[in-house]
Amino acid sequence: MTETSRLLEQAAQITTPWGKSFTAPEANRLDVVIDANDLPAAAAALNAACWGYLAAITGLDRGADDGRIEALYHFCAGAAVAALRVTTPRAEARLPSICAAYPSASIFERELSEMLGVTFVGTPDVTPLFLPEDWSPDAYPLRKDIDLSQPNTVPVRPPPTNGENGKHFIIPIGPQHPALKEPGHFEFSVAGETVIGATVRLGYAHRGIEKAVEQRNWVQDLYLLERICGICSHIHATAYCLGVEKLAEVTVPPRAETIRTLFAELERLHSHMLWLGVAAHEAGFDTLFMAAWRDRETVMDLLEQISGNRVHYSVNVLGGVKFDLEPQHIDALLNGAAFIEERARYYFDLVNHDPLFNRRTRGVGVMTAEQAETIGVVGPTARGSGIVRDVRVEAPYLAYTRCPVEPIVETDGDLAARFSVRIRELLESCRLIRVLLETLPEGALQTRMPRRIRAGEAISRVEAPRGELFYFVKSGGGEMPERIHARTPTLCNLASALILSIGRPLADIPMILVGVDPCFSCNDRTATIHTADGSAEDETWTWERLRRYGIEATR
Amino acid sequence: MNAFDSLTGALAALLILPGGLALMLIGLIYEWANRKLIARLQNRLGPRWFQPLADVIKLLAKQSIVPAAAHPTLFALLPMIALASVLTSALALPMLGLAPAYAFPGDLIVTVCLLSLLTLCLSLAGFGTDSSFGLVGAMRALMQLFSYEAPFLLALLGPAAAAGSWQIDVIMRYAEANPWMLFTQPLGFFVAVVGLMAKLEMAPFDAPEAHTEIVSGPLTEYGGRHLALFRLSKDTALVIGLTLVAGLYLGGIADPLTFLVKTLALLVLITGVQALFARLRIDQSTTLWWRYVMILLLVQWLVMMVSRG
Amino acid sequence: MNTLNLPERWRDAVETVKRWSRINSPWALHFNSGSCNGCDIELLATLTPRFDLERLGVKLQASPRQADILICTGPVTRLARERLLRVYEQMPSPKYVIALGACAVSGGVFQGCYNVVGRVDAVLPVDVYVPGCPPRPEAIIDGMVKLLAQLQAGEKEKPG
Repeated sequence: MTETSRLLEQAAQITTPWGKSFTAPEANRLDVVIDANDLPAAAAALNAACWGYLAAITGLDRGADDGRIEALYHFCAGAAVAALRVTTPRAEARLPSICAAYPSASIFERELSEMLGVTFVGTPDVTPLFLPEDWSPDAYPLRKDIDLSQPNTVPVRPPPTNGENGKHFIIPIGPQHPALKEPGHFEFSVAGETVIGATVRLGYAHRGIEKAVEQRNWVQDLYLLERICGICSHIHATAYCLGVEKLAEVTVPPRAETIRTLFAELERLHSHMLWLGVAAHEAGFDTLFMAAWRDRETVMDLLEQISGNRVHYSVNVLGGVKFDLEPQHIDALLNGAAFIEERARYYFDLVNHDPLFNRRTRGVGVMTAEQAETIGVVGPTARGSGIVRDVRVEAPYLAYTRCPVEPIVETDGDLAARFSVRIRELLESCRLIRVLLETLPEGALQTRMPRRIRAGEAISRVEAPRGELFYFVKSGGGEMPERIHARTPTLCNLASALILSIGRPLADIPMILVGVDPCFSCNDRTATIHTADGSAEDETWTWERLRRYGIEATR
Repeated sequence: MNAFDSLTGALAALLILPGGLALMLIGLIYEWANRKLIARLQNRLGPRWFQPLADVIKLLAKQSIVPAAAHPTLFALLPMIALASVLTSALALPMLGLAPAYAFPGDLIVTVCLLSLLTLCLSLAGFGTDSSFGLVGAMRALMQLFSYEAPFLLALLGPAAAAGSWQIDVIMRYAEANPWMLFTQPLGFFVAVVGLMAKLEMAPFDAPEAHTEIVSGPLTEYGGRHLALFRLSKDTALVIGLTLVAGLYLGGIADPLTFLVKTLALLVLITGVQALFARLRIDQSTTLWWRYVMILLLVQWLVMMVSRG
Repeated sequence: MNTLNLPERWRDAVETVKRWSRINSPWALHFNSGSCNGCDIELLATLTPRFDLERLGVKLQASPRQADILICTGPVTRLARERLLRVYEQMPSPKYVIALGACAVSGGVFQGCYNVVGRVDAVLPVDVYVPGCPPRPEAIIDGMVKLLAQLQAGEKEKPG
């Protein structure tokens, strides 16, 4: 904890010139209230001091009585979370952009402006993000007073986007496309086989979960949030539970903690193997796809054996877990881990030594560590570029506090490195499963939870298979939450795929896209768009221009 | 033998054996063998034996949609030309132990060219539908055609040079009487097999129809009976290609049994390769053909010329 | 459709062959209209070695032009609605729709969310509903087999 408090002290020092009040809602958190006009300066100071990274921007509508909208800029360094809190009047919500210091803030700012109607001054991209084209420009879904019984539509038709545009072909990928098992709509402009521009339109899977949670009670929300994503449902529920339990000041029994952790690792196993298969399929290597998915069934069997379900295993309840581990489960888990370990070694050998496959992965989609920092990527995508960014290591939670995780890092930054990171993580997860089972504590599975949750705010960060998952939970003291904000890893990672696509042959695009393991369902509970400069389509792009575009596009 | 008899005989040969229906049926069965084998290599059960037949009949019975952007006549004509050219290319081939229906000196070149007409038709189909996937697919198909066509033809001309004839059945008879050219011209055999895979757009040379990038490539807009004809052409081309390579390099195909055993053995070989590799990018496959395969072939030809003195 | 003036018996025979081919070659197209991924990964799992839908002739097609069955997962979001309709219209007849998973069947947990139009049959005519959150691969195969059984019984004859 000393390291964390040192970091927080440092953050307080950096922001002293602008801070109006400093509070510590939790031991690892620092809230600094500042004036909205000081925001760019304070952010620039944090950036100049290299203090952490921008994890999320949470917007809160404080209601008609208060008349203000509040924005929280969460910065994370290790286990420490410092938040800059600013407010702006509801009637004319306006905040300065911090994209100059943090280019990665662009997507967060756009999310906020669409959902809460905040105008960001100086933000580079103000196009609609994830709501349909015919969504009324005056209706902001996350404001408390929006009337959702109305359709909130205006009569606009989207312009047709397919086909030729000027001199260049547009290759549309999605929302129904074999490379994507989930909907997202990408458009790549190509000159011959080379990609020179990339745009994405998300929101096909945008269901509006963040609003829906405000209309359901704490327990119902658990099941709703689980269904943000079918691949990483457990980790979403875990992040939510951790946040709510913090608010309710409930301690989860150690056995339940271990079981949660165990499921998180099983989830990582099945998610990474799923990814390995899909990525191989993108490269036209269907035999590896089939093999990976065949072996993945072992993990699915384990999940089913313990929880009764293959996909939404729904292990968590508020205050603990539902399922206990019986002795036969432990044997099955140990055997399963041994099998996956053996297969992972084989796959590691395969993807690193198959000459034809290596031609598709080595040197493709290279992202340097500096680029990764600027774009703000998380999870295996960041770790493939030599950045140690793993919440399990930096800010251990649940049983990770007792069983430390060895971070898996590769430095090449190309697709091959991302393959290596994920396959080596399979091995690490198998090791963790063994350690967890060895140290499985005895005792109860659940602690009683109150029906109403004490008013307050909590932040929980967990490491999903795709990277850091950031949850902000706010309770007003009632039976329903006041605000839950989930910042998913794909939101941070997707921009990197678009930037890395530029200048690559079309054939590499599906692999680069899948390389970050995008999860649009996660993303689209709220979503983002990233556009190339449409007016420039007819010109030849120089390398310098491409590079500049790559840098600017992230802002 | 009067004129009428020879005419009906020729018609039967054209329509049923060795041309036409029988050829297409063999093609469908070979497609099944290919898919089943891949499935088994991937640890799956795979399709049932009548699967390709059911696929084709279903496609034939389905509604055919001609996209608004496509030329209706061309759209319908291209698959027909493709099938016709592939079937025509079978005329000079001895198959199932039968003599070729129409052999003439130099028919080897004609056969290979007629096979290429299939690729051309596919590309034109892609260009004709005004879909970006079709266009990119067509471009890739042509690019690949230009890179493998010359080496493939040269690889088939190796046995022809050894036999001293450019007539397929003459070369095959020479192949029966002499040691397998697989052993005398191993590099040529290798190139012929790889060239055949490229011709049939099998993995790792399936960039023109890479599903994950450009949906179904040139055939993205094709469905119903037009697609059925293209599938039939491809299946037939598979049989013809296998017959050519097996006949020239594996010591001829004198009787039906040898024909089946040798072509199927070759099919097993290319299916194995197909299942084993990831897809080559189009630039990588072009490089492969011109930089490596071409050199292998030149070495082969050099060795042949030197040994002949 | 039948312009040829064939005798009754012949026409029956042709119909039988057509039906046989349809039942034995159901090519599917997967469309995610706002699903959470759960159904999608289970659908993908049905293609892999343990379940292997190719046994039944099912092939996951890439282009709507080549598909017979539209497998739809997830509640239909506002943005996906138009695409879903377009994909369905691109498919040649006879075509069938399977609604996969609780959300596609009923809207599931996402009922009433502001960006959700609703269940799939609010947009398209659905032939088979496969409930479950998500349905197990076995359930997906069962749904497929039920659709094929309906075809066999001639219940789903559509102009084609």
